[in-house]
Amino acid sequence: MEIRVLFFGVLTEVTQTMFKHYRDVNSFGDLMHRIQDDFPELVHFDYRIAVNSEIINEDPELKNMDEVAFMPPFAGG
Amino acid sequence: MAKTTLIKGPVTHELISSRMRLLGENREIGGHSIFLGQVRADIKGIRKVKAIEYSAYEEMVNREAESIKQKILSEYNDVRSIDIFHSTGVVMAGEISLMVLVSAGHRQHAMAACDKTVEMIKEKLPVWKKEIFEDNSHEWKRENLA
Repeated sequence: MEIRVLFFGVLTEVTQTMFKHYRDVNSFGDLMHRIQDDFPELVHFDYRIAVNSEIINEDPELKNMDEVAFMPPFAGG
Repeated sequence: MAKTTLIKGPVTHELISSRMRLLGENREIGGHSIFLGQVRADIKGIRKVKAIEYSAYEEMVNREAESIKQKILSEYNDVRSIDIFHSTGVVMAGEISLMVLVSAGHRQHAMAACDKTVEMIKEKLPVWKKEIFEDNSHEWKRENLA
């Protein structure tokens, strides 16, 4: 399946991009491994993950064309 | 109730007064409570903040803002209207980056609901800020205490 991955805040400086497409993704775990391989520095940052703009607390079942967002702590206002 | 949560650039005085004018047409309202967040020229070491650049996950902001409004409306039954406007992009020090305007039949509910709405915005809206200093260096603001 194809997954669109978004990065926000300080994470955009780590990844040098705001989004990246991953193709032939088998599972959420597979996606996470590939992202960590591409951006090993991410391990040094705090973030939460949302799938289709809902924050997840456990590994989700992904569907084709899902949107996975990496979000550092919020700082609105 | 206004739908648009994110606006490009600062919250202008014109936007604030146009919302106030519109709410004047609702004769059940007895009080408004308004919170305006202003960009502060913090000094960090020898650097001074000249602006903040806001970025947001727009789809999630819209969803969360709607959820905040529904929660406030269910908790404070005297509330008639809730407006939330948050800036994206660059907002200069001294300009307004957040407006929360809560209108109710009576002042107690307007003030309590406005306070709670601001707290929920800080906690739940996926918005990030990059402080831009006068020397054009920048720093992502981490904590949400402002």
